[in-house]
Amino acid sequence: MRCPSLARLAAIACSLAAVAAIAAPSADRDQVRERLQALLPGMSPADFALGSAAFDEGLRAQIEQNAGAASPVLEEGARIWKRKFRDGRSLASCFPNGGRRIAGAYPQFHPRLKLVMTLEMAINQCLKIHREALLETADPKTMGAVTAYLRSLSDGRRIAVRVPAGAQASFEQGRRFYFSRLGQRNFACASCHVQGAGKRYADAALSPAIGQATHWPVIRDGMAVSLQGQIRECLERMGAAPFPAGSEELNNLEYFLTYLSNGLAIKANAWRAPRAAP
Amino acid sequence: MRNLAALVLAAAAAALPAAAAPAPTGAELFARSDKGFCIACHQVPKGAGPATRSDLGPALEGRRMRELGRAALRAIVVDPMRANPGTVMPPYGRHRILDDAEIDRVVDYLDALP
Repeated sequence: MRCPSLARLAAIACSLAAVAAIAAPSADRDQVRERLQALLPGMSPADFALGSAAFDEGLRAQIEQNAGAASPVLEEGARIWKRKFRDGRSLASCFPNGGRRIAGAYPQFHPRLKLVMTLEMAINQCLKIHREALLETADPKTMGAVTAYLRSLSDGRRIAVRVPAGAQASFEQGRRFYFSRLGQRNFACASCHVQGAGKRYADAALSPAIGQATHWPVIRDGMAVSLQGQIRECLERMGAAPFPAGSEELNNLEYFLTYLSNGLAIKANAWRAPRAAP
Repeated sequence: MRNLAALVLAAAAAALPAAAAPAPTGAELFARSDKGFCIACHQVPKGAGPATRSDLGPALEGRRMRELGRAALRAIVVDPMRANPGTVMPPYGRHRILDDAEIDRVVDYLDALP
């Protein structure tokens, strides 16, 4: 009689531990949201989804004026997306609904490979399965264009990234990265995008951590710049050697950062002003 | 031997422009993105430097700088985290972003702000 009870207790304890582990990421998100709302009263997470444009009327007007800037990128992305492989399939055939309404679930944890899979990795996995040449993760003309197109198929859909129990270590690495001071200038991502959100650095408004994952890629100088591309630019400004695009470090950071935006609508391909010369 | 002399002369001539280049002023160190780039976070009074809307750090004005005094100002530029562990200001001395002489010139500039 005692043994079955013990077993049942152990099972309950196990499930509670799993729930507690899964609850931790949402506690992280709540903490960041509370901090941002205290710093930026009167703004909602939906406002945060505009990124730096939420604090800059001039930028919002420029975004409207440049509404068509993404068109050539999207056309090229659609061409790559629909191109027939040698076996007659295409990238579109690898994803549910031909890729529509799926981007909000990425990055996602791959339980068998035990790693975070980004949208770019899923695209290359498809190419690999069909024995096609892989795309260079950091190439804006190919991978940038096709992810711009693929994410545009999810415009308006809410981000819904899941962190299952097995993904805790990856999520935690991403979280630590976001809050760790790095490089010669000793900034953390959070220094600017949590602590300094809404303020201006080098005359540009700093986007809040929540919402940053909604509008990538951004279109700058006619090119798609991925979230990891933007992070790499930040790392350079911090005086840190940037991790390569597609590295485990940046994939986990993207995982954490995207989870922070859960519940917000995707609005891919936001126009941004060209970078000023240093 | 003649070739060696020519080589030495050429090397000396090549070294001359670098040696003759004037050291950046405190104001330049304050504004240059490859140096202090303090202007990225701080505004300064009109006429004392480029006008910006940057406000990640507090606006700087001469009266406050002189209240702090040169020693405290220098200590902040060298390592602001000693006085304020939560600050986002870079540790210009501790992380060797600026050398001692450059920090002195930045402090001169701050101390002389209107």
